[in-house]
Amino acid sequence: MENAKLKIIKKKDVLKFLDSLKKEYDIFVPIEKNGDIRFSKFNSEKDIPWNYRNTKIPPKEIFFPQTETLFSFEAGTSTLSNGSMTFTPIDESKSSAPGNKNYLIFGIRPCDAQAFSLLDKLFGGDDFQDPYYLEKRKQAIIISLACNKPQITCFCTSLKGKPDNEEGADIILFDLGENILTKPITKKGEEFIENLDSWFKEAKKSDVDKKNELMDLSLKKICSGVNLQNIKEKLDEAFDISFWNEIHQKCLGCGICTYLCPTCYCFDITDEIDHVAGGLAPSRGKRIRCWDSCMFPLFTLHASGHNPRLTYKERMRQRIMHKFNYCPENFKEIFCVGCGRCIRNCPVNLDLREVLVSLMSLGSLCKDKKI
Amino acid sequence: MIEKIKEVVKKLFKEDKIDIFIGYGEGTLPLRTTPCFITGPDNIEKLVWNSYCFNNLAVYLPRFFLPQLQKKDLKFPRIGILAKGCDGRSIVGLIKEHQIPRENLYIIGINCSGMIDIEKVQNAVYKMQEVEIVSAKEKSGKVLVENEDNKKVELKKEELLAEVCKNCQYTAPLIYDVLIGEEKRKTKEKERAAFIKEFEKKPLEERWKYFQEQVSKCIRCYACRQACPNCYCKECFADQTRPKWIGATENISDIMFFQIGRILHQAGRCVDCGACVRACPMGIDLRIFTYKLIEDVKEFFGYEAGISLEEAPPLATFKPDDKQEFITEP
Ligand code: SF4
Ligand code: SF4
Ligand code: SF4
Ligand code: SF4
Repeated sequence: MENAKLKIIKKKDVLKFLDSLKKEYDIFVPIEKNGDIRFSKFNSEKDIPWNYRNTKIPPKEIFFPQTETLFSFEAGTSTLSNGSMTFTPIDESKSSAPGNKNYLIFGIRPCDAQAFSLLDKLFGGDDFQDPYYLEKRKQAIIISLACNKPQITCFCTSLKGKPDNEEGADIILFDLGENILTKPITKKGEEFIENLDSWFKEAKKSDVDKKNELMDLSLKKICSGVNLQNIKEKLDEAFDISFWNEIHQKCLGCGICTYLCPTCYCFDITDEIDHVAGGLAPSRGKRIRCWDSCMFPLFTLHASGHNPRLTYKERMRQRIMHKFNYCPENFKEIFCVGCGRCIRNCPVNLDLREVLVSLMSLGSLCKDKKI
Repeated sequence: MIEKIKEVVKKLFKEDKIDIFIGYGEGTLPLRTTPCFITGPDNIEKLVWNSYCFNNLAVYLPRFFLPQLQKKDLKFPRIGILAKGCDGRSIVGLIKEHQIPRENLYIIGINCSGMIDIEKVQNAVYKMQEVEIVSAKEKSGKVLVENEDNKKVELKKEELLAEVCKNCQYTAPLIYDVLIGEEKRKTKEKERAAFIKEFEKKPLEERWKYFQEQVSKCIRCYACRQACPNCYCKECFADQTRPKWIGATENISDIMFFQIGRILHQAGRCVDCGACVRACPMGIDLRIFTYKLIEDVKEFFGYEAGISLEEAPPLATFKPDDKQEFITEP
């Protein structure tokens, strides 16, 4: 995109700008809440925390919430001859208010925008189309915010990212202090800015210089990295090497590294049944899906009682394999964007970078190294 | 102290007294260490001891002694473990609940001078997320933190201690094979319980509101449960599907059910090590609830968890004059 497309908006105008879009869009912005920052519905009372590093809970929750109702149903009046009950889906379209608003995701970090492009491959790939995710995703415009100050856990540069990475976003913003520089990335983003032209003015050369300077500095701040070249091929050979015997040892098997990961997408589907007060017979219910985690033993527990991933070892191997081998196999992409959430929040400081470094430093994986 | 620890561990391996040693290694982030498993004398240099050794290592013990391993005729390993006061109390609890055999443990007790609360360091100097701490050094009661702009600040360790470490009564474990540092018992019971007494004074509605506020932050990652040495159940009630006790969502009633269940299962067992609070990514004040339970068990049954191997746990005993009012009159 040529520099001509670069525009400036005053930082102090941004709240008003977003406010003017409220009718048309469901706007999500980072908001300080309970001592954390989390993407929440825009509220013109609350300023954008421009200096925020990143949210604890990734913005994947906007399109792929922790709990999502797929449909509701109620008990039918008839009982089948074998004694089982019948249920009929409830048509929600009648009851729910006509929303049909577009989504505007404002100020997500570039790594999280990149994560959306990965999730798109899964939820909107050739094999499966996930209507629940896609319905929201398709109507969304993503405006990311380049990072002036990466954290010590950031390692996006090892995963095709960088503090001003454009993938997954429609527009990227640069915080220049008093001004915000906007750069459209997609056609959608370009049109969005064109339609709202009155808020913006042309960027000057000095603005562009400042942006470049900030980004150079920012890139230098990312001091950790892992060379992941050929990691997929390496892992092709690694399923039963002794490496896995040790790296999981300190893992507690909690849901933090997967729930907080912007690219982890596993979910579980259950029915929640409401009982009529006092009665045992189910009256109505919902089919819901919730985040699930490969780090939980229940994840692979079979109805027979058998569990193919019985211990921490198999579960940790799954987490690494899935991101760095199976996803490259299925989607031609590593499912990690280097946001560092799993590193920062792991209660035992099990550092993914360390795992990857030691994995990459293994020599050629010959047979005798196997368990 | 670390030299002493290494020396003992080296000796244990040399004399073939242990197969594995569990201690702390250097962390990858400032103000952190990481649990470290050592299987031979060569790796002993990895061990560290400082004010960030906050993980309760006892949590790792039950997984070495699972009954299904015994069935397979595998020999249980002999484990050496570094234990602060609270880890030691957890170990006592696990032995009493028959999860780990005492004879397979070699406990290196250590007299702990308290662990640092990372949040406190962060908040002492900077507002949340404003500045990143890139390194921290500890020296004689002081912590020197450096931020990303190379600014250094010196803080007093005393002021950074985790809540559970302030007024700790059992800084060294009550059972051990060798103790590093002297055993000093402190009686600060009153000071320690002060926050609960304060909280109890609040009206019921206010306490209930606080509980709801806190648990509504929960994302059900179960890190609190997984970090707790007491939560060794093969299948947690929260995970069971037949029957299914709780819904799977983050609906507040589901979360409350989980929290109440987890907390009540700690009655007479929680040693107030703070592992759950530290593990929780959402900063939920779990301790106010677990500590209330500790106080109640003390008051009603005169029992304190993890103190003696002999005294029978209150949940496993019945006395005709046991208090019961609390069951019928909340
Ligand atoms: S966050 Fe850490 S302890 Fe929890 S499952 Fe992940 S690696 Fe294990
Ligand atoms: S694996 Fe860790 S670093 Fe990679 S995207 Fe997920 S949370 Fe971020
Ligand atoms: S990982 Fe990269 S893109 Fe993500 S917050 Fe850090 S610097 Fe920004
Ligand atoms: S660690 Fe915190 S967020 Fe996770 S389940 Fe426990 S209370 Fe909830």
